[in-house]
Amino acid sequence: MDQVESLLKRPKAYYNIDGAGELGMGFMCLGYALIIWLQMHTPKDSIWNQMYMLFIWVGLMVAIIHFGTKAIKNHITYPRTGFVAYRAQNRIWTAIIASVVSALSVAGLVLAAHSHRHIVMPVFFIGLFFAAGYAFGIARSGGVNALFRWKWVVVLVQVIGSLLIALLHEDLTAALSGGSSLPAWFSASSAGAFLLWLVLYGTLLLISGAISFWLYLCHTQAPAKEANEPANADV
Amino acid sequence: MNRQTQTFNELDRVIHEPGRLMIVALLFAIDQCDFLYLQHETEMNKGTLSSHLSRLEEAGYVEVVKTYRGKVPQTLLSLTASGREAFKQYRKKLKKALK
Repeated sequence: MDQVESLLKRPKAYYNIDGAGELGMGFMCLGYALIIWLQMHTPKDSIWNQMYMLFIWVGLMVAIIHFGTKAIKNHITYPRTGFVAYRAQNRIWTAIIASVVSALSVAGLVLAAHSHRHIVMPVFFIGLFFAAGYAFGIARSGGVNALFRWKWVVVLVQVIGSLLIALLHEDLTAALSGGSSLPAWFSASSAGAFLLWLVLYGTLLLISGAISFWLYLCHTQAPAKEANEPANADV
Repeated sequence: MNRQTQTFNELDRVIHEPGRLMIVALLFAIDQCDFLYLQHETEMNKGTLSSHLSRLEEAGYVEVVKTYRGKVPQTLLSLTASGREAFKQYRKKLKKALK
């Protein structure tokens, strides 16, 4: 019975078998870090501090991630290990959960900042929260695929990294933010800590995604070029 | 015949075969996939996998659609509504039998 249940989990683990999910998330975090850094280090009336620029930036990142993932899947993953279309309800739930988590994180951060508290600790808790989410993803797929077990090290680095950021001296994190374009209620050290966390999380995800991608290429064979009989033309 | 033996006897024989059980369980979790994915996940050779899929198609549990992805022929596979129902019943009965 357990084997049947394990088989039911396999397709979920397959989605990130090539590391495309992590590469996309890592790119997104570093993209946000870059726009936030630009906003903090340029005058308030500069193009980077306009609302429309944020929308353009996010739209551009989403488009790059969407088409980049599609290109990896179409040209590398599907020809090597096959195509999978997931059930629509799964995708809707994933999108809902991701949206709620993101909204709660941002709302928590804004609330903490509005209450004039030092938000380095909330940044640490956001770090822990995202590390727990990443750990959940490994637990879901790690039991199925031994290739994913090394990713526990990434969780450990995420937790230690978040803790170290929380322990950094305020002057150090404040120096990162520049502070010229920050709203009055947002402390420079908090902004710097958040920026540092985004860079840490994004870099870790990019590294983890790249290792996953490399391992995937090492453990799978490129499709054989058969003249009139492709691997998919059976049954 | 005791109740447990009776429950085992009631298990769907088409699904109960290990190779076909793997295929149906994998297809149950998704909308559709191609032949290559099933071959990769089940580690069966083309002949064995084709034979199991034909048996499942005959039973009306699996739908096979031949199409193209670009210029490459592709065989798309999915569970039919009766295939989904049969697998649900199979899991229910197996759980009951193993209690």
